[in-house]
Amino acid sequence: MRPTLRSRFLTGCLVLAVAAALVPAADAQKRGGTLTIVRPTDPVSLDPNLETTAPGAWVYFNMLEGLLTLDDKMQVKPLLATSYEVMSPTKVRFKLRPGVKFHDGTPFNAAAVKFTFDRALRGTPPARWASLAGSLDGAEVVDDLTVDVVTREPYGPILRTLAMYCMGMVSPTAVQKMGADFSRAPVGTGPFKFVEWKTNTHVIIERNPDYWGDRALVDRVVFKVVPEEGARMIALQTGDADMVLFPSPAQLPALRKDPKFTVHETTGIRVVFVGLHAGMPPLDDVRVRQALLHAVDRKAILDNIMEGSAGPALGVLAPGVFGFKDMHLDRLYPFDRAKAKALLAQAGWTPGSDGIMVKGGQRLSLSWLAARGRYPKDGEITEAIQAMFKEVGVEAKVQVLEWAAVFQQLRGATFNHHVFTLGWVTSNADADYSLYALFHSKQAPPTGWNTSRYANARVDALVEQARRSLNQTEREKLYGEVQDIVAKEMVWIPVYTTKEIIVSRANVKGFHIHPVEYNLTLSKTWIDK
Amino acid sequence: MLTFVVRRLLLAVPVLFGVVFVVMLTVDLLPGDAVTLMLGEHATKDAVAKLRDHLGLDKPFLVRYLEYVGRVVRGDLGRSIQQNRPVVSELADTWPATLQLTVAALVLAAGAGILAGVASAVWPNSVFDALARLGSLFGLSMPIFWTGLVLIVVFSLWLNWLPVGGAGSLAHLILPAVTLALPSVAMISRMTRAAVLDVLREDYVRTARAKGVGELWVLGRHALRNAFIPILTLLGLQSGQLMGGAVLTETVFAWPGLGRLMVKAIFARDYILLQGAVLVFALAFVVINLLVDLSYGLLDPRIGRQG
Repeated sequence: MRPTLRSRFLTGCLVLAVAAALVPAADAQKRGGTLTIVRPTDPVSLDPNLETTAPGAWVYFNMLEGLLTLDDKMQVKPLLATSYEVMSPTKVRFKLRPGVKFHDGTPFNAAAVKFTFDRALRGTPPARWASLAGSLDGAEVVDDLTVDVVTREPYGPILRTLAMYCMGMVSPTAVQKMGADFSRAPVGTGPFKFVEWKTNTHVIIERNPDYWGDRALVDRVVFKVVPEEGARMIALQTGDADMVLFPSPAQLPALRKDPKFTVHETTGIRVVFVGLHAGMPPLDDVRVRQALLHAVDRKAILDNIMEGSAGPALGVLAPGVFGFKDMHLDRLYPFDRAKAKALLAQAGWTPGSDGIMVKGGQRLSLSWLAARGRYPKDGEITEAIQAMFKEVGVEAKVQVLEWAAVFQQLRGATFNHHVFTLGWVTSNADADYSLYALFHSKQAPPTGWNTSRYANARVDALVEQARRSLNQTEREKLYGEVQDIVAKEMVWIPVYTTKEIIVSRANVKGFHIHPVEYNLTLSKTWIDK
Repeated sequence: MLTFVVRRLLLAVPVLFGVVFVVMLTVDLLPGDAVTLMLGEHATKDAVAKLRDHLGLDKPFLVRYLEYVGRVVRGDLGRSIQQNRPVVSELADTWPATLQLTVAALVLAAGAGILAGVASAVWPNSVFDALARLGSLFGLSMPIFWTGLVLIVVFSLWLNWLPVGGAGSLAHLILPAVTLALPSVAMISRMTRAAVLDVLREDYVRTARAKGVGELWVLGRHALRNAFIPILTLLGLQSGQLMGGAVLTETVFAWPGLGRLMVKAIFARDYILLQGAVLVFALAFVVINLLVDLSYGLLDPRIGRQG
């Protein structure tokens, strides 16, 4: 036995040595250089109060930091706060990181936190993210490095709200000195600081040498605007760009095979689905809705239409969202046409002369409102599911309108279609954001987004209780129960979960893609010359 | 002369406000509005109402139009709805790039077009003429975004001679200017060929040749000067065409100009910003055509005297 052990030991050493040679040690990271990123549009603004969309967020996310952040596993992590304590259902106390300075030298402290929230929530008009922040009301200074964040009502999602990409702290002195110009040259505490913004050409940021944490590895990041998709991909190939945000989906299969490039991808937080109007006959009958779920071959859609550019939908929430519970849709609603027809028969529908189901002289014909091009492949999906419905004797009359027109109808107090194609992103990554707005019976448009007119008193009570609670374990349990109930009475046909995809040249190292498209962290990225 | 210029400029004022009216009405009729686009689809009813009120977007169309015109008359182009930035700053950031691109394209188009046209006229039905005809057909038929991408593939990706896009150096200007100029080269060369051929058949050209004047002098002094009036008219019209084409060219080549500003404003339903860009385009068009009219007088003294 001894020799064996010894040889095992030797092999082990060898394996370790090889592994050590292959895996670059931390000091192999190279500092310096310029990282050039191309994306389709210029920012609206670099001030989160004026810009919540990606073109600006990608840039300011690297310059402004919030109290908390979400890591790429979607866990809440301290950033400018070091710890927190729930004081009351409407008050959370944060200890702030000492010794942090804004890029202009202003010290970061409790007053700066209060200033940031006052500016955002009491300004006229309020910050564009105010709608995303629920009942967040502001901050109260306790001492220089202690601050209380307060809400108008008990608000369970407060932690994930404060960890959103747009909650970055701004330098009070810079805001007062620069006025409106602040939105084009923001001053925060982040690993990068602002250098230059040439309208429609580029934004440049550079390493903050006085950063409180690990300093950024590249010297500079240049965000270039290249509106044309083809030109963006060519820029990546010629080396004019190191990284492309929003790469062309058609080129991904080839890029995945090419060793010159790295395709970074992860499951996102948006679910694209086909919504069913539960308040409108015949979809008020749960058996008809369940039949429609059985009629759809979701795997075929993923394989043949999405071609690897999206992940399966596991429920009404994306897996990265706090409170997500897998609905096991493949077990509850497997693709099974016989089952679908049986459910329709139970509900009293029988095949008519043309194959479409009939009940009391009424054909099973559904009107469907959809846009094309709002979400990846939404038009193709609508067409495919329309055909799948037909296979079980359900006729769908699709009306395709421009997205803005679809949006207007969806937001109206009355909605006159049975079916609609829609996507939903859980912006603050907390189940409250979606389950409350989408499934609470009082949240029908124009108040909220319960476009399916789903009504279940138990669900109402659960989402209300979960919103009031600041005990995250309890909340997670409550949301699990909500999803169990919703799964049985499905008012959606979840189709896919979006993927976030970024392509870089292969010598771009240390980059980790985040499920939230706005959270583009560049401080750990380096270039291997 | 001066009264002519002043009268023409005054006549442009109602034209400009008419243009503004049509553009504003079009944006108003488009589905979707600026506030929803700014606050995101999930914005609360209350937040949408507050911002609409703040921006004055809930006022009736005509009130907003008259307010806008009133402000413009006082020299204030307003602030962009989406970015809350003075429209003047946005325009100042972008119009030099468009001017640079259009002028470069116009010079290229005029130079290449006139040269090719004259050569075709001097040697009609030659091999060169046939090639020029084929080239013109190609230049006119190919859409700008296609030619642009092909040029990028050849000169940036394959040959690696020129940058893919963006602005900054003369090298950046070459591909977009050539792309934008191509359709105009075609038009101008065909027009020049026809005009020069016409003039070459005139009696005074035959007389000049009979006097023993050299062929180059005949072409330059007699033929071209007379053939120039229709060419100049075309150049004036083409400059408008080029500004329109700049929208596409700027998109393909990531050129930071007015065209892209306009596209951005339309997507954001930002009618204040859009109006500013449209006013610059309209004004440029009016001024160029005025210059063309004035230059007729220089080429042909008979036109100038009629005022």
